[in-house]
Amino acid sequence: MSDFTPIPTAGPSGPRASFGSRLVAFVLDGIIVGIVNLILTRLSRPLGEVGGTLVSLAYFTYFFGSPSGQTIGMRALGIRVYDFTRGGPIGYGRGFARWLGYIVSGIPCFLGFFWALWDKEKQTWADKIATTVVVPVSAYPVQP
Amino acid sequence: MVGGSETVDLRDLRSAGALMLAAAFALPVLPGHPGLPCPLRTLTGVPCPLCGMTTSVEETVHGHLDAALAANPAGVLAVAAALVLLVCRPTTLVVSRVVAIAALGAMWAFELHRFGFV
Repeated sequence: MSDFTPIPTAGPSGPRASFGSRLVAFVLDGIIVGIVNLILTRLSRPLGEVGGTLVSLAYFTYFFGSPSGQTIGMRALGIRVYDFTRGGPIGYGRGFARWLGYIVSGIPCFLGFFWALWDKEKQTWADKIATTVVVPVSAYPVQP
Repeated sequence: MVGGSETVDLRDLRSAGALMLAAAFALPVLPGHPGLPCPLRTLTGVPCPLCGMTTSVEETVHGHLDAALAANPAGVLAVAAALVLLVCRPTTLVVSRVVAIAALGAMWAFELHRFGFV
């Protein structure tokens, strides 16, 4: 499904990952990044403070921008980040933009993440910033 | 565009409502009583529209309506909405964008007043 044309309907224009699967994937990714940060902090507190942000940036930018568009948590839940306008992977530049969108989403009591609960395309603010949607791999398989 | 309305699919909201109620019962009995600190308030001192929601929802499910309303009145409504979603199981809801934005604005004004900014 490389051609991806949103169809104007009352619901989303295609299958979307559920909020629950996205939440569990996010928690798994948070645990992974948290463990790395903990190790860095044990090695050196200043390294942990600076490195924590860099680890998060590198982790999410790399996996969002990868050809599969899947973080480790997303892979476990069978979901992926998908280009909303053209379909397929989003590349590392927009992967970085999506990571910045995570920060913006989190600032007002995580309202930007909750946005997926009522948004027609189930987009968080990070999705809107990077023009992405999160979809089930069963409906949008990763191209080999 | 601000005007108009949005048809909301309520399946995810129903799951989130169930999770919210479960968390409201579970969080107070966990060691250290964990919560979700507001990043905006932590960084700037300024509350956001959703500040007080964790407290409000917890107090509501434990029957302490005065404390819930003092923290954020929207928490009481959130618990009521979650119960309606779980019991009546509606599938869609049409929401006016103006009403949604006005509600968020009212919540923010309440929190700004609660923390002495207005």
